[in-house]
Formats: sequence, C-alpha cells, structure tokens
Amino acid sequence: MSYVHPEYLVETEWVAAHLNDPNIRIIESDEDPLLYPIGHIPGAVQVDWFSTLQHPLRRDFLTGEKFEEVASDLGITNETTVVFYGDKSNWFACYALWLFQYYGHQNVRIMNGGRLKWEKENRPLVREVSSYQKTTYRAKDPDQSIRAFRGDVLKQSNARKPLVDVRSPKEYSGELISMPNYPQEGATRGGHIPGAVSIPWAQAVNEADSTFKTPEELRALYEGKGIKPDKEVIAYCRIGERSSLTWFVLKYLLGYPKVKNYDGSWTEWGNLVDAPIEK
Amino acid sequence: MPRPYPIIMSLPPKLQEIVDDFAGMSREELIETLIAYSESLPPLPDRLKAERDRMDPVPECMTPVFLFTEKQSDGGLMFYFDIPPQSPTVRGLASILASGLNGSQPEEILSVPADFFLPMKLQEAISQQRINGFIGVLAHMKQAAVKALENRT
Repeated sequence: MSYVHPEYLVETEWVAAHLNDPNIRIIESDEDPLLYPIGHIPGAVQVDWFSTLQHPLRRDFLTGEKFEEVASDLGITNETTVVFYGDKSNWFACYALWLFQYYGHQNVRIMNGGRLKWEKENRPLVREVSSYQKTTYRAKDPDQSIRAFRGDVLKQSNARKPLVDVRSPKEYSGELISMPNYPQEGATRGGHIPGAVSIPWAQAVNEADSTFKTPEELRALYEGKGIKPDKEVIAYCRIGERSSLTWFVLKYLLGYPKVKNYDGSWTEWGNLVDAPIEK
Repeated sequence: MPRPYPIIMSLPPKLQEIVDDFAGMSREELIETLIAYSESLPPLPDRLKAERDRMDPVPECMTPVFLFTEKQSDGGLMFYFDIPPQSPTVRGLASILASGLNGSQPEEILSVPADFFLPMKLQEAISQQRINGFIGVLAHMKQAAVKALENRT
C-alpha cells in the first residue's frame, strides 16, 4: 500500500538533488520566524505565517491580490513546483501549502520530515538569503472546497458529519484552551465542537524525524476513529495550522476527496456567541 | 492592608535601555537584534545541568523552557535559561529578560509591568503567541522573585 497521492510528498534527498533547479522553488515556513534567518536550505526563500501570509487588518489570510504580489516577489510562476518545509513537523509548511492551493497553485509538495530531518541528516544550512527574478503571478479564484467557515462547521456539527479535532487531548476535553505550556489565551470557552472526534495531529507523524507515518498506520488511525473517505471531513485546531497538517494527510496521503480546513478553529469557535460546545 | 513589597515605578536601567534600543528599530534590525540576543544567551552552567535532568520531561509540542534562579550575596537574582536552538525566538526573548533583569532585586523584578515591552514594537516581527510566551517567561521570573522574598524573612 502506498500513499494515494505520493506526488505531493518529496524526501530530503530529492530536495538536496534539486537545489539548483530553476523550475522548483523551496519555501521555508516556520512557527519560529527566526529559524530561516539563522540557517535555511540553500536557495530557499521564507514565507512567515504571520507577517507574510496574514491580512494586516482583518482576521483572515492575505487577499488574492496580495498573494499574487508575494508569489511574484518570490520569483514563482504559475508553473513553478513549490516545495514547502518547516519546523514543528511541518505545521506551518502545510498551512502555506494549503493557502497556495486555495489560490489555485496546484504544483506543491511537502518535504517529508521538514527542517528537523534535514538538520538530523547534517545537510547544509546557509544564512545567505536568495532572491529571484520577479515574475507576474496570477492567482486563480479561491478554492472554497478546501476551506470551512463557521457556518459550514455548524451545519457539519448539527448533521453529525465528520469533524476532526486535532488539538491535544486536554484542549479537546476543555481542561486547557491552548496547547500545554503555551499561554492559555485566545478563547473564552474551552471544549470541542459537538460531534468532533479527537485525533491529535501528532499521531500522524513519527516523533523521531517528523516524517509522516506509513499509509497503513494512517488509514488505521483515521478509519479507526470513524473518519472515512466517503463523507466530507472538516479538520480544526486552535488557529488552523496544526489542522493544515491533518488536512494534508487526509487529502493527499490518504486521498479523501472532500476535506476542509476550518482556519477560524478554536480561537473563533471558543469565542463565538451562541456556538454549541461539548466538554 | 499594606502591600508586601514597595512599588517601583521605573524599569531596571538595563531593561529600560534595551526597550529604548528596540523602539527605534526597523523590522530587519529587530530580527537581527533578536537573533543576536538568541545567540548570546549563555549556555546553562554545568552546576545546574544535573538539576535540569531531574526535571519533568517535556510534553508534546511546547518549546521547553527551563529557568533557574540563583540569589547573589546582595540579594539580587541571577537567571539562567536552557532553551533549545530550534526555538531562536523564545531564546532571544528570554535572553532580553536575562540581560535586562540579571542582578536586580526581587522587588524590582516584581515591579516590571507585564506590558513593559509594548514600545519595543515586537508585534511587527513576531506573532502574538510568541509575545505571550515572553509574558509567560516574565511571569516565571516573578514567581522566582516572590519565592526569594519569602525566603528572606
């Protein structure tokens, strides 16, 4: 058994062999924005979840117009293969990939194992920031089939259709509002969306090197909790970054046809007046 | 009821100096300076390593921050951190707090307002969640200062 869409995953060796390929752009996207400046894969560029990819005023990610500007500045054309990697088992790399897909960039990959694996293999990291000839990138219409808004989530919950809560068990139970040992802020209520099953994101990756688990292990994990390919699935976490990883796993590694990421996640739901919550 | 310790209205001079430095920086300078702080965070002294190894293992997905406090003969506190190189932002923020507060009296540490860093404009480079981590580290240092005051009497 192999992953259903293995073409969305590349290994570190593959990236190492394609560092100078003009048709490929390697993008680092981290939780910690200082990691790229202190050392990154030669030729890689940075997108920062916060300062590059978020809307400067509204709670939203950047507009299509702004996305075109970012992609153009990074020298990406509509044909470029974009490879994402990052820290924390590729959380923010998956978020960036999800956003690229939202604006219609199909040619995307995740580097299996992310920054951790690259470092463990003692592969080169450089401080020199690469820049590329500016392009004229054209975004497509947003792909709403991969993004869930609060109204979609309420319908999904009311219909008892599959919702996956990928946060830590204590966030799911409502004991904590944020990740263990992170500041407990961002939501006024704890708990989970009614009907959501708890499948923490970390169960999809190998702790030692941040690579994804085998197709068999992943299938057993999600199907074992009743999350199957026959229905539309919505994944959420606290701000939509950990659930991007689960979204990637379900959509590409397991090939579920209809998977959405709810990027409003708990920081929206846990503050939303009148929203149903289970503990 | 009398307050248990006097209120000091100004920041310790070294911390004030750091805040003022940051206030005038561009985003690029801010990032470079945070990296410099991150890299200058001294390694944990050998005498504290055994103590760290006795502490609890780190739960899933947090940045492990170990904080140690030692009292000097004049009552001032010295802070030592152990934070992995994979978390340079947290290292940088902890390093700022250590540089700005090491040697300060517990009363001075307790008087640092939780929003003292607002003029540093960190929010232009790092997300609110990181900044919240900064507040968290300061809160830990204040707990250590409270303990030091309790032990004084």
